[in-house]
Amino acid sequence: MTDPAIELDGVSKRFGDVTAVDSVDLTVESGEIFGFLGPNGAGKSTTINVLLDFVESTSGTASMLGLDVSDDRETLHDRIGVVPENYGLYDRLSGRRHVELAAELKGADDDPDELLDRVGLSREDAGRPAGEYSTGMGQRLALAMALVGAPDLLILDEPTSGLDPNGARELRNLIRAENERGVTVFFSSHILEQVEAVADRVGIMNEGELVAVDSIGRLRQQLDTGARVTLHVDREPDGDLGGLPNVRDIEVMDGTVRGTCLEPAAKLRFIDRVRERVTVTDLRIEESSLEDLFASYTDEDTTERRSDPVGPGGVA
Amino acid sequence: MSVRTIARKDLADASRSTTLWAVTAVVLLSTAGVTGLLAATSGMTAGEVFGLSFQLAGTMLPIVALILAKGAITAEREAGSLRVLLSLPPSRRDVLVGKLLGRTALMLVATLVGGLATGLVVLTMLGGSVASIVSFVGFLGLMSVAFVAIGVGISAGSASDSRATAVAVSAYMILVALWNLIQSAIRYGAVELGVMTAGNEPAWLRLVGLFPPNRAADAAYRAAVDGQLFGTDPFASVWLPVLVLMAWVFAPVTAGYLRFRDAQIG
Repeated sequence: MTDPAIELDGVSKRFGDVTAVDSVDLTVESGEIFGFLGPNGAGKSTTINVLLDFVESTSGTASMLGLDVSDDRETLHDRIGVVPENYGLYDRLSGRRHVELAAELKGADDDPDELLDRVGLSREDAGRPAGEYSTGMGQRLALAMALVGAPDLLILDEPTSGLDPNGARELRNLIRAENERGVTVFFSSHILEQVEAVADRVGIMNEGELVAVDSIGRLRQQLDTGARVTLHVDREPDGDLGGLPNVRDIEVMDGTVRGTCLEPAAKLRFIDRVRERVTVTDLRIEESSLEDLFASYTDEDTTERRSDPVGPGGVA
Repeated sequence: MSVRTIARKDLADASRSTTLWAVTAVVLLSTAGVTGLLAATSGMTAGEVFGLSFQLAGTMLPIVALILAKGAITAEREAGSLRVLLSLPPSRRDVLVGKLLGRTALMLVATLVGGLATGLVVLTMLGGSVASIVSFVGFLGLMSVAFVAIGVGISAGSASDSRATAVAVSAYMILVALWNLIQSAIRYGAVELGVMTAGNEPAWLRLVGLFPPNRAADAAYRAAVDGQLFGTDPFASVWLPVLVLMAWVFAPVTAGYLRFRDAQIG
């Protein structure tokens, strides 16, 4: 049986009076893509800093690949690849030199050019000093350094920050490709969409506590967040628009009709119902954001409003 | 292995900083230049010029060494590249020792070039022995290494680069700029307290005079010129000042390491 990729057992970290991480238990299995979610200040970074032995936990034990994060640090760091949060590059050294440096320090014989290719940095760019790189190029280089030595576990702390949508998509593809090679991926983000697209499971941190661990789909099902549909109409419809399953919080104001739809089919039913009465000139759909997802875990009012949604495709 | 890689990386990175080289060049050329001026105009002997030149270098090189070294850890910590290094296998000790070696090598190259240039100026203008150049350059080098070690130790023990700069400048002020004053204050205080009588020079007070690395290096250089390796007076011998210099090479960097080892790299 393989050791879990990450195992946290009652890990707490206090800075003076402030508890940054409060007895977190978490197991990430080998082979998973795990998304680590939470707003800034929730304790994600501190948790990752404990995993990387940047800070020492106040209590509890933390291990990765069956190795203690502090005692077996050197052996462990040979087998993981990391893109730390707020990482820095050496402005005066070339991109290729960075990858060579990582390879020398890991005792790996990777071909730097192959790794730079894999993350999409051209030969020409790889020869330039990293000080001339854009944020996106720097991110690619950091990723190439993390891939050195064929790691068993990739830890990416906010890897999508500073990437344009195109770069973020390429990163997701890369994460999937590495995962297919058998690499466990643990990555943190405060943007739900980035995590949702690739993660098998997610953990949500809030105020130092791990408040939920599940697949995104199951989390959504448990929540009453859904999508907010806004329809611009030529005139405000009369009469009752309610009574549709999985559509709630309907508002009519300022030439728009809004409703929260708990599952995909409900959106279409809602739009159809409005179009039966008036002409829709424009529409906007906002999927539930992390804030909404969070609110359901942290905000008591939201929890009280929770209503049990009918399963997807429920009869109208 | 890791230590050597980090030292080489640091050397490659730091040696590409043009500001660093510009400052070094100005300081070293002015040392050689002033020495040349002295040699041309003062009518002093080669030995006297070397002695004055050593004292001049003893006030210039320490600030260059401290500035060169004080960012060794803190600059990487602030830029975030330390997080990258520590995500890789090297330990904090590896990083610190690698940095110390890299900066030491850089400072030694600068000292060697400047010292040799100064020595050659004196040698061609006034004559003198090659042996005098060897001890001139050698003890300047040892002094530079001590100040680099102090700077790296300060860097390892500081949480921010601005703090490291402040501590490094303070170290320069105390050890180099103000030490005469401090020594006098200690002497007057000791007389006032009745620990010693005025006009006396007890061994401990002489040790106070030898305490800063630049003073120790100067004493070692003069003793070497006099050929006193293990003389009857330890203060006029090479061994005691060298011992003081060795203490400067190891003590601050060890203290800095202990703080760095327990630091939160957040």
